[in-house]
Amino acid sequence: MWVGLEAEEYDRKYQDKVLVKRIISYFSPYKKAMLLVIIFLTISSLTMAFQPILTSLIITNLETTPEPLYVIFLIVIIFIFNILGWIINYVRQIYSSRVIGSVVLDIRKDAHKSVVNHDLSFFDKNPLGKIVSRINTDSRDFGETVEMSIEVVSSVVVLILLITVMFTVDVVLTFVLLISLPLFFIAALSFRKFARKMTLQGQRALASVNAYTKESFSGIQIAKTFRREKKVYDDFLAVNNQSYRVNLKRAFLLNAIYPTLGLIQGVVTMLLILIGSSFVIDGFVGVGELVLFIQSINLLFFPLLIIASFWPMFQTGMAASERIFALIDTLPAVVQKNNIVPSKLKGEIEFKNLNFQYDKSKKVFDNFSLKVNPGESIALVGHTGAGKSSIAKLIARFYEFQGGDILVDGKSIKEYDLTEYRKHIGIIPQTPFLWADTVENNIKYGFENASEEDVMNALEISGGSEWIKSLPDGLKTNIRERGSLLSMGQRQLVVFARVLLEDPSILILDEATASVDPFTETKIQEALEKTIEDRTSIIIAHRLWTVRHVDRIVVLDHGKIVEEGNHDELMKRKGTYANLYNTYFRHQSLQYIEDMGKSNE
Amino acid sequence: MRINHKIMSAKLKDSKISEFSTGKDPFAKARKKGSSRWILAHILHGSNKWFITIIFFTIILSANLSSITYIIIGETISALLNGMTVILGNYIILLFILGITGPLMRIGSRMLIEILAQRLERDARREFFSNLLGKSQSFHDQMKIGELMARVTDDVRMLNFLISPALSLVVESFTYLFIPIFYIILYYPIQLIIEPIFFSISFLILLRSYSKKIGPITGRLRENFGLMTATLSETLSGIEVVKATVQEEKEMKKYLTNAKNYKKAFIERGKLQAKYLPILVLALVITAGFAHSIVLYNYGLINIGQIIAFLGILGLLRFPTNISMFVFSIFRLAGSSAVRLLELMNKKTEIDENKEGKEKVFKGIIKFDKVEFNYPNSKNPVLKNISFEIQSGQTVAIVGTTGSGKTTLTKLISRLYDVSSGRILIDGRDIREYSLQSLRDQISYIEQDVFLFSTTIFDNISFGRVSSLEEVIKVAEQAQAHDFISELPDEYQSKVGERGVQLSGGERQRIAIARAFLSDPRILILDDSTSAIDSNTEDKIQFAIKNILKNRTTMLITHRLSQIRWADLILVLKNGEIVAKGNHEELLKTSEEYRKIFVKKFDIEEDQLLKGVRE
Ligand SMILES: Nc1ncnc2c1ncn2[C@@H]1O[C@H](COP(=O)(O)OP(=O)(O)O)[C@@H](O)[C@H]1O
Ligand SMILES: Nc1ncnc2c1ncn2[C@@H]1O[C@H](COP(=O)(O)OP(=O)(O)O)[C@@H](O)[C@H]1O
Ligand SMILES: [Mg+2]
Ligand SMILES: [Mg+2]
Repeated sequence: MWVGLEAEEYDRKYQDKVLVKRIISYFSPYKKAMLLVIIFLTISSLTMAFQPILTSLIITNLETTPEPLYVIFLIVIIFIFNILGWIINYVRQIYSSRVIGSVVLDIRKDAHKSVVNHDLSFFDKNPLGKIVSRINTDSRDFGETVEMSIEVVSSVVVLILLITVMFTVDVVLTFVLLISLPLFFIAALSFRKFARKMTLQGQRALASVNAYTKESFSGIQIAKTFRREKKVYDDFLAVNNQSYRVNLKRAFLLNAIYPTLGLIQGVVTMLLILIGSSFVIDGFVGVGELVLFIQSINLLFFPLLIIASFWPMFQTGMAASERIFALIDTLPAVVQKNNIVPSKLKGEIEFKNLNFQYDKSKKVFDNFSLKVNPGESIALVGHTGAGKSSIAKLIARFYEFQGGDILVDGKSIKEYDLTEYRKHIGIIPQTPFLWADTVENNIKYGFENASEEDVMNALEISGGSEWIKSLPDGLKTNIRERGSLLSMGQRQLVVFARVLLEDPSILILDEATASVDPFTETKIQEALEKTIEDRTSIIIAHRLWTVRHVDRIVVLDHGKIVEEGNHDELMKRKGTYANLYNTYFRHQSLQYIEDMGKSNE
Repeated sequence: MRINHKIMSAKLKDSKISEFSTGKDPFAKARKKGSSRWILAHILHGSNKWFITIIFFTIILSANLSSITYIIIGETISALLNGMTVILGNYIILLFILGITGPLMRIGSRMLIEILAQRLERDARREFFSNLLGKSQSFHDQMKIGELMARVTDDVRMLNFLISPALSLVVESFTYLFIPIFYIILYYPIQLIIEPIFFSISFLILLRSYSKKIGPITGRLRENFGLMTATLSETLSGIEVVKATVQEEKEMKKYLTNAKNYKKAFIERGKLQAKYLPILVLALVITAGFAHSIVLYNYGLINIGQIIAFLGILGLLRFPTNISMFVFSIFRLAGSSAVRLLELMNKKTEIDENKEGKEKVFKGIIKFDKVEFNYPNSKNPVLKNISFEIQSGQTVAIVGTTGSGKTTLTKLISRLYDVSSGRILIDGRDIREYSLQSLRDQISYIEQDVFLFSTTIFDNISFGRVSSLEEVIKVAEQAQAHDFISELPDEYQSKVGERGVQLSGGERQRIAIARAFLSDPRILILDDSTSAIDSNTEDKIQFAIKNILKNRTTMLITHRLSQIRWADLILVLKNGEIVAKGNHEELLKTSEEYRKIFVKKFDIEEDQLLKGVRE
């Protein structure tokens, strides 16, 4: 699956015009600086273009009747131009690197913002490695291209000036020189399409390498325990070789253009000398003028060669900007219709005929309805895959639903300002995620201002803070990516403490203590009973003893509610819940254990 | 035993320790000798050395051709001025040939350069990747994935850039720097070499100081780029938490801090490049050369054609001057990239795959002998004085509060980490004497923190062992996973998303169970592997597990009494020590810690439970 260069789902093609307009719009905040850059650029290009003209004047003068003073004067002027050109170019370059640096930063900002604002369905589909490479690497490539383009623009100024002067000198020779231009453009343009395509593929191949690396080393422990490094390595070889092949092809193509243009230059030089010398013999032009032309070939071809030899880069940059804009332009699936800012949520939640699916092929909820009263605590139980976590994710508005509605405090969830709304929701996801940071900062995440005491308190409530002492630096221990230096149970405790600190109006616990031992869990349980007293809470658990005390238990089966009521009612009903509960208890009862013991024999 | 230890410590000294190797590693020695030697070894590896020779040769040749071209142009013009139209034709044909062969040769050499560059990238990446695979778990615990990613892609790519364009341009520019001098000596009054020589010397001096300054700046540029990648990929890994806690702004700020530092370094580099003096020096030198040649013309020492050719040859110096500004920062960058790569590759790792080690089918007798274990960097031992023995086919359950060291203990058996002191024996032999392949092949592990690859379900289940679809379906049925898999759009070919995000927690665990079942191990380790599964489903899985356990040695970490009850031996861990061991009844009677864990939870009064036991 890693080999393959297909576009991402969100990729799109932009017309060059659109792309360029878009790029220009990023430069418009720096209009003044850009104006300076352009002015300085023109001046320094002019100083450059005048040099061959002055040279040719001198040669003409030498050839006819040398006037020493005149020659010295011209040479001094050339010296002055040399120095002036350098200084002006110096200023220009400083400005342009400032502008480019800022533009790249702006693009990164936009891309980051757009990506972070996507809902989770986007991240389900797109490997992180590829997104990261798009935001960072592609924007860098883009910046480099702009730098190159500025050089090119300066060369173009020289080019235009020279051609004008040449026309005044000799029209025929100028035309000889100019026949090379269409040749140039035909050559360059015919490369363009392939170049863009190849470059895109090259970037994708590299992004694949990036993504594959991320995945392999995230799962390195599994590869080790199953002793399957070989498989990981073999798959890597495929990805790596693909990148080699694609990039080599691309390099071949892009490198062919430079010498091809050189070839054109060679032919044109030859023609010029051939025709020019016959002109000199016939007395149409002087040697000095011919020199001007020969010298101009270089000056003329230099910009073209720059364009051509930086063609790979230029194409990389265009392809890169296309990739970034595609990323920026993708709209999240979750869209808010309004931006009501709730000051405080009462915590009434109502699912109204909800339809929801992750994939078209499999409905998770079909016409699902459920109402949770303010301050009520409910438990969601049911088999795995019934849709419990999905409910949690929908309330947090991580996914867009397809039909029906979810009302919170009587208003559609779509009406709220998303960030303000989420501030009132505390959710402990099923898989704990921790940052590669200290324990303390992990707990304070989302609640910067908490003091160390608050942190210790929150930890105390979530099963005790004893274990912190065993860490090398206590609260200040850096626990590495995903908290990998902590045991699973400890990770859950940290997440638990984090959410307690947040003090949300709606609390959602998704198997928050599944990896914690029963003893610690009991302690958390006691604390939890206090915590949930006056707020709406949704608790998802498999260890049914932990949810016996909630106000209402909702039993889910394949996205449908099959039973609801409190523990005693449900037990009396002897339905699914009673069955689940009994199985659960049977597991733990001595009787069951004895039976298992017997069947074991 | 003692002899064996000696052998082992001798081996430890050997720097080639690695958990995984691909057989061939031609650069092992060069890696030890520093970055330039390593890069050189790559450049000269295999057929690469022929490539590089040809490349050098063609570059020098074509530089010569360019100089000759200008001299001929000069001659042509002189011929014109002197009215020698006869040889004019010859000159023009010569120019034509030169105009064509030059570019053609350049096409050839560029292709070769590209092949070399891309090869270097591919090979270095391959070497780096396989080397990382050989590093032990404790190494990977300390690494940030984002940093690894930056190295595998960007740093390795710098080596590519080092060849194309940097190395080829440098060779080219140095030839362009000296060849003109050579031709001037041949064709012109000797004093005309003053200007090019003056330039060459001052150029080299200026370049040196420039490249000294550009080094640290480009280093900073890369470093910040790496940080940007690392922060961003962490943010996106934890995106669910970011959203739930509404910390988008904060994450953005984190990222922007790095991005802004990057911008700063970028601007600084721009400043430094703007100040690049050789360009000015060259312009002045060319003008001076021009003036000089006019003086010579005045004295009749050269003619106009020669002046023009001389100017053309001086103009050739433009190329090395302009290009070296960019090229030298690539050199620096590639150098520091190579250092970054080598730094990781040369990091010692403690576990070796021990290819010559013993291989055998285990009976499955596991013995811990006074095992003590410290994670690298942790100050207190995580496990202390652990001793116990499991007979072949037995099941041992490990219980204990969160963080007491249960998971750690099981990880030691498959040598994800090596014990700090004491020994672990399987079938009477220290596990370090077996080859890693043989050891890990026979141990399956269902980890607490289930990891799935983002490939298909089929690939995930058959990860541990290549198998047919039938076999996969069979184990999926046993793990109670078949039903939900059949409901997925592409059944076994459905992709599960990164880390399996597209599945529910319990579904993930069942895939992991199936994966472990399929590999048919001698020793099975289950680490709280049904924690996210409802009791009905678990009921069914338990019977499957029970079947699987037959004839295998098993270690169970669980808090479900039903599972614990199967155990022949229960170990109670507390703060890394075994505080009690025995069977359920014994422990209920004797161990306070054990009762603490189990009694309260079921709302069964302690007395009642104990009564059941006492009867
Ligand atoms: N991100 C996702 N993409 C696609 N399918 C998903 C995703 N998350 C969960 N599912 C599917 O939706 C169903 C409900 O999952 P979930 O709500 O996580 O169940 P549970 O009740 O165990 O918490 C499952 O069949 C699962 O495979
Ligand atoms: N990779 C690691 N590096 C350093 N310390 C670790 C690592 N993994 C776990 N620990 C520490 O070791 C102790 C035992 O962890 P673990 O064996 O996972 O406990 P549990 O009994 O819950 O499975 C914990 O205090 C934890 O913080
Ligand atoms: Mg779930
Ligand atoms: Mg554990």
